[in-house]
Amino acid sequence: MCGCWVVLAFCCLGQLCAGKRHLPAVILSVFVVPLFVSLLFVLWFVLGANSPQLATNNPTLTTVALEKPFCTFDSSLCPNKSCIIYLYAMKELGDAISSQVTDNTSKPLDSTFHQTSGGQLGPYKAALFSVPDCASPPKLTDVGDVNKVSDVLKQYLFRVGDDVNCLYDPNFLGVCNPPLAPDTTYRFKYVLLDSTEGIVKDQTLWSDPIKTRRVKLPLKIDTWPGRRSGDMIVITSILSVLVFLLLAGFLASVSSAVIYPFQLISEALPELSQLVYAYSRVVYALCPRKSMRPDGFLN
Amino acid sequence: MAKSDDGIRILQGLLVFGNVVIGMCGIALTAECIFFVSDPHGLYPLLEATENDDVYAAAWIGIFVGFALFALSILGIVGVIKSNRTLLLVYIILMLITYAFEMASCITAATHRDFLTPNLFLKQMLERYQKSEPDNNNDKWMTEGVTKTWDKLMLQNQCCGVRGPSDWQEYMSAFRITHNDADFPWPHNCCVMDARGSPVNLDGCKLGVPGYYNSNGCYDAISGPMNTHAWGVAWFGFAILCWTFCVLLGTMFYWSRTEY
Repeated sequence: MCGCWVVLAFCCLGQLCAGKRHLPAVILSVFVVPLFVSLLFVLWFVLGANSPQLATNNPTLTTVALEKPFCTFDSSLCPNKSCIIYLYAMKELGDAISSQVTDNTSKPLDSTFHQTSGGQLGPYKAALFSVPDCASPPKLTDVGDVNKVSDVLKQYLFRVGDDVNCLYDPNFLGVCNPPLAPDTTYRFKYVLLDSTEGIVKDQTLWSDPIKTRRVKLPLKIDTWPGRRSGDMIVITSILSVLVFLLLAGFLASVSSAVIYPFQLISEALPELSQLVYAYSRVVYALCPRKSMRPDGFLN
Repeated sequence: MAKSDDGIRILQGLLVFGNVVIGMCGIALTAECIFFVSDPHGLYPLLEATENDDVYAAAWIGIFVGFALFALSILGIVGVIKSNRTLLLVYIILMLITYAFEMASCITAATHRDFLTPNLFLKQMLERYQKSEPDNNNDKWMTEGVTKTWDKLMLQNQCCGVRGPSDWQEYMSAFRITHNDADFPWPHNCCVMDARGSPVNLDGCKLGVPGYYNSNGCYDAISGPMNTHAWGVAWFGFAILCWTFCVLLGTMFYWSRTEY
């Protein structure tokens, strides 16, 4: 609690200065400094709305889930527990002037989504809820329990862009929280308001820019399968070789079936001619010789 | 003479054994391909919509080739035992034709398995799931098939999208056109369901609170059965063909050595 020590130091300084009759300085140090310090506290705790760790799908195309501001505002600002919190959202603009949420009399802006064109022209009020209980925040481990999860989620976070119907419903009277635009940067701010007096007591800084998602077209998805797998190359190459060998073997066996009989005959041919010659000699020897008359007739 | 007689007998015995094995493998191939064609996992509509269903064509060819192998093996056994040259010649020629068909089936199954990538299924899911205005009857048929298959896949396997629920958030889709992002960041089938078939906690599911939505992708549930299918047809067919190659060469040799 370094703030308290700072306050004490300033008070002591004020007392010392009081001795020198610098009354305005004393008043300044006693009243303004605590205010400054509490503002420092606010800055130190949280700069604005945070994205909760619990919701993994955040931000989506048109919604952003934010943690509610637990223990962000000083409860002493609301003596009768009459405070409520407003959430303002706006698109991130370069223009700092139009990002005021209060008017000159510290009354909050009553702008809607429709009036500001979805946060384009300035901040719009996105939500209204009671101050979260700092003393007993919801236990995040209860999220695992099916019966308690709805309550835990409702107490712990708020989803900007949740209500799709309120823009088009003419009977809707509450604070409209329509879906945000995709691929756009938004900033959020929590404002503490006293409901009886209707004036702004405290506000956080504008949050870090949070951008909603953008979508890619499915046409752009590349369905090319890449290089051929090893399986396919092995199967194709080996089967091609086997088919080639089979065809070669078939041709070889068919041609050998045609050529083989001729080979047999040609190998047997010399023996065949010798056989015929021997046979003719035997026949010639066995048959009786007869002399031939000049006129060719036998005797 | 006795030595070559023994040799012939051994060759005959080997060829008969080879043909018996071919016959049994033929029946097994037919049974396996009938199993794949019957699509027990219900994934055929996804392939039909991508127009990449040639792994099923390979299985159909496998059914007929298996039966042909069984019939031809019987013819081969009869031809070898009787040493009839005509029968053996018919056997060899028909076996060569069957060999060619089976080779086509194996190569088709192996090649078309390569086309089934996650991106293919992702693109088809985004373009067809719950598409509201189909162009024609064919488109309508495919859209209904894809929608029913994805719904069944997501419910039975407790998964969402191809790589994860972020597929629905990262890409534009036909689903996104009819369902707004605030209520349906992803289909409600991605939520953890209770016994009655409704989401346990819809807010938790929409926000992405762990335990209330299915964070894993369905690609494993699709590619597992597809891989089994393709590799079963391709590699078993390849094994049969290697064995048949040896038996056919032996039969050609035997045929060239027998006499009419």
